Amino acid sequence: MEKKIIRNERTGEQYTYVKHPTGLNIYIWKMENYSTTYALFGTKYGSINTKFKTKSEPDFVTVPNGIAHYLEHKLFENEDCDVFSLYAKTGASANAYTTFDKTCYLFSCTDNVYESLEILLNFVQDPYFTEETVQKEQGIIGQEIRMYDDNANWRVFFNMLQGLYLNHPVKIDIAGTVESIAQINADLLYKCYNTFYNLNNMVLSIAGNIDEDKALELCDKLLKNNENPELETAFEPEPETVCEKEVVQKLEVAMPIFNIGFKAKPESGLEQVRAEIETNFVLSLLSDESSAFYKKLYDDGLINSSFSSEVFLGDGYFCSIFGGESRNPKLVRDKLIEEINRCKKEGLDKDRFEAVKKSYYGALIRDLNDSEAIATVMLNAGMEKLSAFDIIETVAKVTFEDVSARLDKQFDTEKVTISIIEPVHGEGEQA
Amino acid sequence: MAIKYNREKLGDGIHYNSIINERQKTNTVIMHFVTGLSQETASLNAVIPYILAGSSSVYPTLTELNKKLSELYGAVLKGSVSKMGDSQVLSLMAGCINDRYAFDGEAVTEEMTKVMTDCLTSPHLQDGVFFEKDFELKKQELIDDIEAEINEKRSFAFKRANINIFRDEPAAVSVKGDVSHAEKLTSADAFRQYLELLKTAQIEIFFVGAQESAGCKKIITDALNSIDRAFGGDNSSAKSPLKGEVCRVTERYDVAQSKMVMGFKTDCGDPVALKLMNAIFGATPISKLFMNVREKLSLCYYCSSGYNDKKGTLYVDSGVEQENIAKAEAEILNQLDAVRRGDFTDEDMENARKSIMNSWRGVSDGARSIAEWYFSRSYSGDSLSPEEMIEKLKKITREEVIKAAESVRLDTVYVLTGKEAKA
Repeated sequence: MEKKIIRNERTGEQYTYVKHPTGLNIYIWKMENYSTTYALFGTKYGSINTKFKTKSEPDFVTVPNGIAHYLEHKLFENEDCDVFSLYAKTGASANAYTTFDKTCYLFSCTDNVYESLEILLNFVQDPYFTEETVQKEQGIIGQEIRMYDDNANWRVFFNMLQGLYLNHPVKIDIAGTVESIAQINADLLYKCYNTFYNLNNMVLSIAGNIDEDKALELCDKLLKNNENPELETAFEPEPETVCEKEVVQKLEVAMPIFNIGFKAKPESGLEQVRAEIETNFVLSLLSDESSAFYKKLYDDGLINSSFSSEVFLGDGYFCSIFGGESRNPKLVRDKLIEEINRCKKEGLDKDRFEAVKKSYYGALIRDLNDSEAIATVMLNAGMEKLSAFDIIETVAKVTFEDVSARLDKQFDTEKVTISIIEPVHGEGEQA
Repeated sequence: MAIKYNREKLGDGIHYNSIINERQKTNTVIMHFVTGLSQETASLNAVIPYILAGSSSVYPTLTELNKKLSELYGAVLKGSVSKMGDSQVLSLMAGCINDRYAFDGEAVTEEMTKVMTDCLTSPHLQDGVFFEKDFELKKQELIDDIEAEINEKRSFAFKRANINIFRDEPAAVSVKGDVSHAEKLTSADAFRQYLELLKTAQIEIFFVGAQESAGCKKIITDALNSIDRAFGGDNSSAKSPLKGEVCRVTERYDVAQSKMVMGFKTDCGDPVALKLMNAIFGATPISKLFMNVREKLSLCYYCSSGYNDKKGTLYVDSGVEQENIAKAEAEILNQLDAVRRGDFTDEDMENARKSIMNSWRGVSDGARSIAEWYFSRSYSGDSLSPEEMIEKLKKITREEVIKAAESVRLDTVYVLTGKEAKA
């Protein structure tokens, strides 16, 4: 068993990395004087991983959309009971989630942490489903998908992704569609489980009130040996241009809601982290609440305090998104493009660079208060074989020149999609 | 490991609550102004924290204020408005990193506190009232926020349900008021109300950090001492009365999925027994509602219950397909009957108890959650710590849970549903 202390001088914090003989990467961060422990057991397998091959099946196969999320639901059932009932005995609060590129199972607790860890390690390694139990889930997941159909913030985001991406599966709802999940059966679920829930493809991350030796002892006892399947995932080639420049839908909302996405070329590993951080600096300098641009649009009543921006990235995709509410979203887009072009010519606001850096750093320090945030950062970094401190160190070292170069590289004003949710103008009426 | 909580009177109706917790890597200051909820003043009050958190005479524009906050390592300063029972709570919240993390050891916390108190007591004025242009923007923002509530259907349904559950009570009033009142607001009215609140509202200050800060406390005390007080009295809430017959309301919107909120009233005097009863009934993923209504019968995608100790109400919040509304209602009532009959095992009860203990023990790990805890406790008239509440919880018996369940009576059924349906 390979064991390393990962230490950061800047913050005085440290955690332990263990490469377990089963292939699992384990990260443990003991937080002195905390009551809560937060544990995440995750696989690098999300909604976008629908095309893959392994050593034993050398041809790429494609599976239906929504299967990673479906599998997450089904793993929560044991042969004789629901996983929640197991945790009930420890008092832990348990949950699971599926994103575009990972599936995670988690608990947080203040007592009985090792009993809860045992439950977590056991059920994730022990799938049980039959045709009958798989069929039963169709109804509940179908309702979940329909619930998101009414959610304007969710719709505006996916409509934008569908405008930005032609082939990449990031444009498909994480839960899939009612049609795609109808094709899911027990065999397909086992196939995906056996491919992606291999400990070589997984991470265990624990932060908070935890004794490292006791946790590792449990890992030794409960982790099952896995042969590395030499998994490879693939995506259809994605053009650099956007698919549609405008996508509009009507829903029951008060004011138009918009997302404006700038499509850029994805990177990987530490380069992707740098790209993310530097692009975040660009977004702050361009349009955060201290920027001249924000003030102008705000004072003109074109945006309100819901206006925000973020970088959205993962395996094979990278875009910058501006979102909010506006009575005139297309004008917001035009002003934004104008501002980006101006900054490319005249430069970003250099006077604010140090303050933006301090802000970014301060937010990362705030996260160190929170066991959930720490476990999540270790897991995300671990899945990319990076250190949890890479972000804070990269932020501390970013230069204004790096950020300016990123503006030129990541913001092509030809590769823009605007998605708008317009009101249907229906007033509620009493029956 | 223990945290230190101290509550001290600073003036008439003003308290300084300090929560010292050595694990904190940040310092947080929260100022709550507690006042009565009413349709007439809800919007007028609600706009005030929006204005105060956006500028001050020292930093007269949002741009300048934000620039200062960024320099303080991205210190956060926010205004918000919330509801507690029959009261409206207007709050300013500021947070920053502990000084020891600053690159050059700057006094970040004291500076942040000064920025905050300036926003509170020295707003950006024009002709003796709030700066007109700022006011108009914040007013529009308030209106936008009220109108945008419909975008999130679950919380919107809950808000609409409350209007009916608390009919003729202050708690029925939406916390930001309504558009018709908000549209009539003027800068002069808002400024007059601001002065009135400074004078009369109950003021609760919270400081949460790794160690006491005499500097912060002095800045806050000095700021508050500059105010002439005529305290209007402590706020409290009345238990919500049960209606003569069940109130049924259906509202139609353009939605794919329906929402149902059921409101219940209780006159049970034991909030801890009700909390435990609520956990067994519907507040956890092993509760009767989750296991039966959602999992076994697939009647709802979500279905959970909550308990409002200030008003003595229980509610069940569910997302349901239109054709299942009646079935879901019947089954939810069935499950309540099961709790009343004592149809739950000792293990069910112990599991529910553990689940509450788990969440209460975790409260002290977060600055805002622990401040929120003590604020809620002081509103209820005590200062019990999470550990002390856990001791009470441990003593609740099966008979007390059943008695609590027996006191729960259906009061209101609110349904938000699609338009295409039959009338």
